[in-house]
Amino acid sequence: MTSHFLLMVIFCALVSLVFTFLTKYGTRERIRYFFFLLGAYVLISVVAGWLMYPFPF
Amino acid sequence: METEQLPQEVPRIQAEAGVLKTTTACVAAVLIPGLGHAFLQKWDRAIVFLVSISLMFALGLRLQARLFNPEFSDLFSTLKFLAEAGSGILYWVCWLRGLGVGEPSAYTYDFANVFIYVAGLLNMLVVVDAFDIAMGRKQ
Repeated sequence: MTSHFLLMVIFCALVSLVFTFLTKYGTRERIRYFFFLLGAYVLISVVAGWLMYPFPF
Repeated sequence: METEQLPQEVPRIQAEAGVLKTTTACVAAVLIPGLGHAFLQKWDRAIVFLVSISLMFALGLRLQARLFNPEFSDLFSTLKFLAEAGSGILYWVCWLRGLGVGEPSAYTYDFANVFIYVAGLLNMLVVVDAFDIAMGRKQ
């Protein structure tokens, strides 16, 4: 398992799951919030990666 | 035979029982992720926290993360140790067994360390959540 993207998605999914159960109660609300968080984490990570691409470190 | 309680002692006994419940829930949550919620009978959260945090910790170890020793010589090592030790018994068992030597040249070393740090930090949030539930501030 050496794909950085796959590891990042697994990481985001696990963190999103914990945050969802910490903050939301109903099943429907939890499902919606989980996918919102997961999408936001993955999207922001990819955007941050592209923004850091020109930096030399 | 019923034991009689004076009316003024009832709130004191209830308060002591609340303190005991809160302390037990927090200690359980610190030791094993999700155990505090299981003690408070929040079964769905208990299972999710146990599985997610343990899986994150195990993945970190599998990807060749380093477990930092309890040393307080410099700030960053101390912070890394505290973050990792937040996982409770998971950290201490692995550390005592000599796991988590870490391989800095490994392709996944940085990712693996982040998995372990975040597992510990999430468990700290879980402890706070268990505290809030035990105190009646949350459902």
